[in-house]
Amino acid sequence: MQTSELLHNYLVDSNTWDEMYTNSAIRGQYQSVVEFMQQMSIEELNKKEELAKRLFMSQGITFTVYSSGEGIEKIFPFDIIPRIITAAEWSYIEEGIRQRLKALNLFLKDVYNDQFILKDGVVPVDMVYSCPHFLREMHGFHVPHDIYVHIAGIDLIRDHDGTFYILEDNLRTPSGVSYMLENREITKRIFPDLIPRNNVRSVTEYPNILHRNLVSLSPRQTANPTIVLLTPGIYNSAYFEHTTLARLMGVELVEGRDLVVDNHRVYMKTTSGLQQVDVIYRRVDDEFLDPLVFNPDSMLGVAGIMSAYRKGNVAIVNAIGNGVADDKAIYTYVPAMIRYYLNEEPILKNVPTYQLGNPEEREHVFGNMNNMVIKKTNESGGYGMLMGHTASDEEIARYREAIVKDPRQYIAQPIINLSSAPCYMNGKLKPRRIDLRPYALCGPGGIQIVPGGLTRVALREGSLVVNSSQGGGSKDTWVLAG
Amino acid sequence: MLSRVADSLYWMSRYMERADGILRMLRINYASSQDDFQEFSWKPVLQIFTYLDDEKATAIAKDTRAVLQYMVTDRENSNSVLSIITRARENARSVQDHITKELWQCLNDFYHTIRDEQLGKGFHKEDPVTILDILIRQGLLYYGTADVTMARGEGYAFLNIGKFLERGVQSADILDVKFSDVDYDFAKTDTTYWKYLLLSISGYELYLKTYRSAFDAKNVVEQIVLNEDFPRSIIYSINQLHSKFERLRTGRNKEGYQKIDFMIGKIRSKVKYSTVESIMQQGLHAYLNGVKEELYEVGNAFNQYYFAYT
Repeated sequence: MQTSELLHNYLVDSNTWDEMYTNSAIRGQYQSVVEFMQQMSIEELNKKEELAKRLFMSQGITFTVYSSGEGIEKIFPFDIIPRIITAAEWSYIEEGIRQRLKALNLFLKDVYNDQFILKDGVVPVDMVYSCPHFLREMHGFHVPHDIYVHIAGIDLIRDHDGTFYILEDNLRTPSGVSYMLENREITKRIFPDLIPRNNVRSVTEYPNILHRNLVSLSPRQTANPTIVLLTPGIYNSAYFEHTTLARLMGVELVEGRDLVVDNHRVYMKTTSGLQQVDVIYRRVDDEFLDPLVFNPDSMLGVAGIMSAYRKGNVAIVNAIGNGVADDKAIYTYVPAMIRYYLNEEPILKNVPTYQLGNPEEREHVFGNMNNMVIKKTNESGGYGMLMGHTASDEEIARYREAIVKDPRQYIAQPIINLSSAPCYMNGKLKPRRIDLRPYALCGPGGIQIVPGGLTRVALREGSLVVNSSQGGGSKDTWVLAG
Repeated sequence: MLSRVADSLYWMSRYMERADGILRMLRINYASSQDDFQEFSWKPVLQIFTYLDDEKATAIAKDTRAVLQYMVTDRENSNSVLSIITRARENARSVQDHITKELWQCLNDFYHTIRDEQLGKGFHKEDPVTILDILIRQGLLYYGTADVTMARGEGYAFLNIGKFLERGVQSADILDVKFSDVDYDFAKTDTTYWKYLLLSISGYELYLKTYRSAFDAKNVVEQIVLNEDFPRSIIYSINQLHSKFERLRTGRNKEGYQKIDFMIGKIRSKVKYSTVESIMQQGLHAYLNGVKEELYEVGNAFNQYYFAYT
């Protein structure tokens, strides 16, 4: 194929897996899209990019940045070139995530009940008990259908040889799924016909599956249980997502102040009095959920909700206390959990992780700081993170000191070269680093993973950090049907 | 429906109605300012629609462009159209799952249009009518979208309750201030004065068709207070308020319904069985104030019986 203006200067970093290019040839799954783009002029492509921005803006798919007392609407940057996953890659990912989730669910049930895995010494006791998200309030309580993780967002990255690695499990209140849905809608608008022509699998089932799962959790045997989505409110950066999901499922979007607990039952305050709530899909963190049990200063939660939960009068999604399973130090033990509970070999690999509590591993990390990522075990969103190859000596020294003081708070991983994918930048395609977050839904009928997900992209050249708080954007994510 | 949601829908709607009223009123007053600049003053407008004190209002009352900029796009002015639309949008944002996606996008587009800095700058060099028309059209789009896309449920009832309550108060306000400006002198026969008052609430053509005569202050009062066919009259607003409120009759909130039904019925009878003569006997200012007071009480009763959620 001839290289056009568009692909001129598409230089893949050495030692990096590029999703589009291999040895200067375009991979099969990208050929039709690249041809399509090449038929368009730069003006046309710029217009498409402009249209995408306008659509996001006019639909209010924005987050608000407050500066000098005034809110400024920003859109989450969107790259118009889709990220493409082949059917074979997807079935591998799907199988791997399903296996992993099964094990994580069993782990949560186990640590909050019999603790066999601790007694057998597979996961160290102090690892679990030192985790701030391990909540004794959940001990000995049976959650409906033994499901703790109803919604999971599992972050995957690809190393230089194309191997998928699990970077992180998000089992509390993973966000971003609305972007999976909206990015697809935008692609439909800016590139008409491109999706059917490429045999892309649909993602629109997501809200229906989630809604079906929520209905099935209702403790009251009623044909039409009351399901609500609990949001921290309009100032939350994911508020758009909360409204989108509530709208798509046709459930009530509530804030903490809309709910009240009476006699261990949760009610919402309506124009015609109190109405009992059966299932709460909460997007409020554990610690803010019930001021009587957790953070007493929380204005976002509902006093008494924990007691209603423990009495079994209301279902809460995801379960409370899941943070013990997606803690970055516990992460190291997930492959062991898979072997322990399922007697299977893990399909998807973990990124090698060093426990800094172990003196030998710590010395190894300290000797190779330039090739390491240091992460705080309980932070997310790209906060509390040190990239060894770009950090200053001063920063490194500060982290070393902190690690020595409290090694449980940190883990270290070798820097993995994220794979790159083409992004449209001023009339040219340029490789930028990406990750992948598919969303898995777990209900009484089993685990379902919608074919797609959120591809986050580090828009800055050479950057390996894809988090939106650190200048990342996103792409529509295509899973091809065979 | 959640109390908080009903509250937000009601306020979203009140703000939208207020923004529309202000924009139309500005458009016509601008025309009036070009027509008869010697007599024209922005002061009554500033008195109804802003919190400027007398001194400041007098200071800019003769500077048309400064007034327009202050009332439409000023960020400091909490009653500028920009501020009002921002509040309407904040309310809409928190009930996005209860208004249609079309309505949300329409309101959101309105917000982005009025926040565009170029638009505000235009007041200083371009034709202000063009700018006001762009904004008024956004408002019409909002009304049309609400009418065509919203389900006729409880939420729609609260939208309309907010809208007509606001409209009733606004018409009373405009009438009162315009008359206070001429010291409630019913003998004042300046044709352009009444013409622009009627134009500002889209009632000029109806007036011509109804009265077919020169302008008479009594007829102006009659149309704005008592004409049941005039969509901005006080009686029309109250009739609509009443019929939209009846949608809530079947709800479980019997106590609230009965209390408010009584209040709306009372004010409705009061206006319906008024005549221009009885109004003048009582004094126009006192009469309009009474109407406004009662409408505010209705609003408070909604707070108490339907929106209380804290």
